[in-house]
This record gives sequence, structure tokens and C-alpha cells, in this order.
Amino acid sequence: MASFDVMPDVQLYQPVELDDALNLADELGDDGWLLGGGQDTYGWLKDRAKQPRAMIDLNGIEALHGIRETSDGIEIGAATTLREIIRDERIKRDFDLLAQAAGRVASPQIRNVGTLGGNLNQDARCWYYRRGLDCYRAGGNICYADGPDAMNREHCVFGASRCVAVSPSDTATALVALEATMVAKSVSGERIIPAEDFFVGPATHIRQMTSLKAQEILTAVRLPAKWAGKRFYFEKVADRDVWDFALVSIAVAMSMDGDMIGENRIVCGGVACTPHRLTNVERAVRGKSLSEESAAAAAPMASEGAKPLNYNHFKLPLMENLVRRAMRG
Amino acid sequence: MCGEPCGVKSVDIATYKNDVWGQEVIRGVSWDLLWLVIVAAFIAIAAHAIYGATQKRADKPSAGGARVNRHDAIDRAYHWVMAGSVFVLLVTGIFPIIGLEFSWLEIHWIAGIVLTVVVAFHILRSVLTQDVSSMAIGSGDLKEALDGSTKPGKYSPAQKSMHAVVTVLTLLVIGSGLLMFLQIDTPWWERSNSMAESTLGLVFLVHGLSTLGLVGVICLHVYFALRPEKLFYTRSMIKGWISKDELAANHDPQRWTPDETT
Repeated sequence: MASFDVMPDVQLYQPVELDDALNLADELGDDGWLLGGGQDTYGWLKDRAKQPRAMIDLNGIEALHGIRETSDGIEIGAATTLREIIRDERIKRDFDLLAQAAGRVASPQIRNVGTLGGNLNQDARCWYYRRGLDCYRAGGNICYADGPDAMNREHCVFGASRCVAVSPSDTATALVALEATMVAKSVSGERIIPAEDFFVGPATHIRQMTSLKAQEILTAVRLPAKWAGKRFYFEKVADRDVWDFALVSIAVAMSMDGDMIGENRIVCGGVACTPHRLTNVERAVRGKSLSEESAAAAAPMASEGAKPLNYNHFKLPLMENLVRRAMRG
Repeated sequence: MCGEPCGVKSVDIATYKNDVWGQEVIRGVSWDLLWLVIVAAFIAIAAHAIYGATQKRADKPSAGGARVNRHDAIDRAYHWVMAGSVFVLLVTGIFPIIGLEFSWLEIHWIAGIVLTVVVAFHILRSVLTQDVSSMAIGSGDLKEALDGSTKPGKYSPAQKSMHAVVTVLTLLVIGSGLLMFLQIDTPWWERSNSMAESTLGLVFLVHGLSTLGLVGVICLHVYFALRPEKLFYTRSMIKGWISKDELAANHDPQRWTPDETT
């Protein structure tokens, strides 16, 4: 792949009103590129692996910034930086799961500029794909990451369908665990999408990782009060402590009834093309206490149904151990 | 100045990509051709409909009275199972390409297996128990097609031609489809991804071109099946029989002597 020292020639729009951004998104369609913190964007553009005609910089739109209390929880503007989320007292108090997940994204410098919307909408990190190879995800007819000699240590163990890339977002797992909803706007209206449906796998959408349409902008993320102040657990295992993507991560939200686990949501990152809910583990631990015994009983269920590739069998015990650590109290 | 006739956009047959070594290889068919095929099919249909409307209509033979058998129940079942599987294959194969995305891959290969099995059954049954020559195209068919006074045996030259084209396209789509089937994970094997990219591209091209051919041919087939003067053939593919009047009006009893039926 050719290497470039400069950014390509691309039109830049910097709207300050949401309506203007929506009109631009509608007008540009697939030729437009929404810009948040730019931490995913600039790599794509610099390598010429993606060549949009124009960028719509969302950072100047006030309505997309900030953390607001609502009648049913909290609403976070999509252009709010990860640093702002990590430092927000309400989020730390009520939804610490998200603060922990955001705190494990990349590095402090990236969290200073990276936005929640950008983190959720970032593209797959499969290096064959990002290298510009014409794989299934890029519109081709082959998956380079799933062959006899392919390097697929970081790829999925669940939900593969031609493509084996994983969802790279740390905050996505936390938001699925917290039953967040995504607010997507376009010139034709607004869609409220449950986080679980927002992220899509390759079986239905092989060329995108979210259900966001070309003319839509993710404007906000809503966290329901239902999970405020509940028991949370987040852990991310990566090759490095900073500036690395999850090999496997786990986000757990559970309501406790005395010592007993009540309703709970357990979500793994880094193992599937979307945040992967462990519904069998959720059912199994409900009514149990947090203990070594229940942890040991639930852990093996985490990897049930997994189909590892050549080099990522290690993700199975990793998942199981993360469940064990989350459940032992 | 335009390199092509101004206002005319050329449509490529194939799309290309660089393989992992940077060499240009075929990726597959250009799906822009889909619209060309559909438009061409509808122009052909419109032209035939206009031509048909200008022709003097022959008296429609009665569907009542004595009946003769045209298609056995097993052949009718084969036809409709094949039609259903092809319909499912076209919907699951083409809709995601034109932007209607859904989880299509499993439905597609299951329908592909159904098609493969029924086609294999049809070939065996035709060769072993039926008169294959009744569907064979010979030099007499051309003469028959040009001479309106000569009536055909069981199948007209147009029906034989349609069958021949569908046969070739179906065998191509099945053959290439089976090779593509090896490239995905199934309950019976895991994909190896071992086919050379240039070969894979050719397989995708053949699959795409034969699919496009089938789209065009099926448009024409459905049109003719719904033409008023041909509706009795469609009925015979559902109920199995045509009347003796319809037989006498459209076929030469010397060349096709079907059994009477009730």
C-alpha cells in the first residue's frame, strides 16, 4: 500500500447548527464523512483507504455537546469527549460502568479529543481491511483474516458471517449493558435505537458496523435511570495497558436483591462483530449470590457456542476468566 | 470532448480489484448490468405485447371436453420447487446488492442446495425415464418456427429454446454456486479460503453473469406464462392437463400423442 505524508484533498464543512449538519448529511449521502474527534477518520483518509468527497465536522455544534439530566436518566451529546464523560460526577456516581469503559479507551491524549459518538461509530480494526485490501467488508469477495495463514489473533469467536472483524469500541459494551438508547437524526426525523440494535453484524450489514444510515447523525446517547447506581464491573484485557484495543472486555450491570443477583446484563467486547451479550450466563447467575462457587459455575458458559479461528482460541478461557472475576464478588 | 458517445455511459461487464499481491484480478460481475438486463427484458416484453396486439387473434380453443395429460404430477412438483428455489435465490442474492439488507446467506445456500438436488433429480429422471429428444432442438425446429402452418410436437421451438437457455444458465449458476459454497462456513465444513483470488473472481463473475441471464429469461418466461393464448400451458403446469381442443389447436397429434386423463 502506498504511503502518504499529507491528507487528501477533501472538502470540509463546519456547521454550527444541527439542522445544517443534517442537511449536509442528506445532500452528501455516502460521499460525506462525519467527523468527531478524528481519531479513526484521519488514519483512513491519510492512507487513502477511504476517500470521501467531504467531511462534516460536528464539533462546532453545541447541541451535540454536554451531559444533561433527563426525566429518565442522562443524555450525553454524541460529540462529548471521552475525557468529559470520565470526569463527569453524575456519570461517575450513577453510571460508573461507562466512566470505567471510557477510561480504558486508547490513551489520555486520544480521550481528550475522541468523542463518544466517534468511539461508537469507529470502523473495524481488522488490519487486512484497514490496509485497504478488497475484503468482504470493503466490497470484495474474500476474507483475508480467515485463511490457513491469516493473522486472526484479535478477531471474532462469535457471529462471523464471511467477515470476522470485531467491534472495537470499549464504550459500546458498557452502553449495551446499561440498556442505552441511541438518538439518530436525519432531515426526515428521529430514530431511537436500542444500543443492542445499533451495532450490527456482517450477516446483515457487512460494510458497516452500526445501523446508522448514510444520511443520519448520531446526536445523543441516553442512559436510563433503571440502571443508575447499580453494581457494575468492567475489565478490559489488551496487549498493552494504554493505546490498545480489547482482546476481550467485559461490562456487567446487575441489580442486587440483598446478596442475590437480580436482573443483570453481561456483555463482552472483542469477541464478536457486535458487543456480545452472554444471555446464558445472565440467566444462570440470576438468583445466585456473588461468590467463588457461582462464579465457577457460570464461567464455562461464557464461551459456549464459540467458534475460534486459527490463532484466537485463547479468547475462550479469557472470556471465562473475566466472567469468573466479575461474579466472585 | 466525450470519449464515448456524449450522454451515453458505458457499463462494464466485470469489476476488478487488486489482490493481496497488488495484481489486478476480476472481482465479479458489474451489478450495473442488472438494470440493463431488466430494462432490456421489459423492452422485449413491451415490443412483443405490441406486436401481439396488432396480430389477428385466432379463436381460443375450448378448455372443456376431453382432456389429455401434459405434465405428470412429479414434473409439476419439480417445476414449482425449482421456481420457488430460484425465486428465493434471486431475492436473497440480489436484494442485499441493491440495498435491501437482511441476513441472507444461510437462506441463499439452503435454497441453492434445494435447487441443486431438484435439478439433479430432473436430469436423472429425464435421461432414465423420459423422452429427452422431445426437448432437443433440431434443424426442423428453425423451419417450424418460421413456418406458421406447422404445428409442433409436445414442445414448440420457443419452449425448447427457453428450456435450453435455462438449462445452460442454471447449470452455470449451480456449478459456480457450489464452488462459492466451499468458500463459506457451513454445518459440514469450515471454509479454507484457499482458492486463488483470480479464480475466485472468475467464479463470482460466472455466478453473477448466469444470475443476470436468469433474471432476463425469467422475466420473459413469466410474461409468456401469463399471455392469454399461453395460459393453458400455465394451467397444465398446475393441474397437469390440457383439453383435446387445445391440443388440436396448438400441437400436431401425429408428433405428440398424450394419454387421455380425467
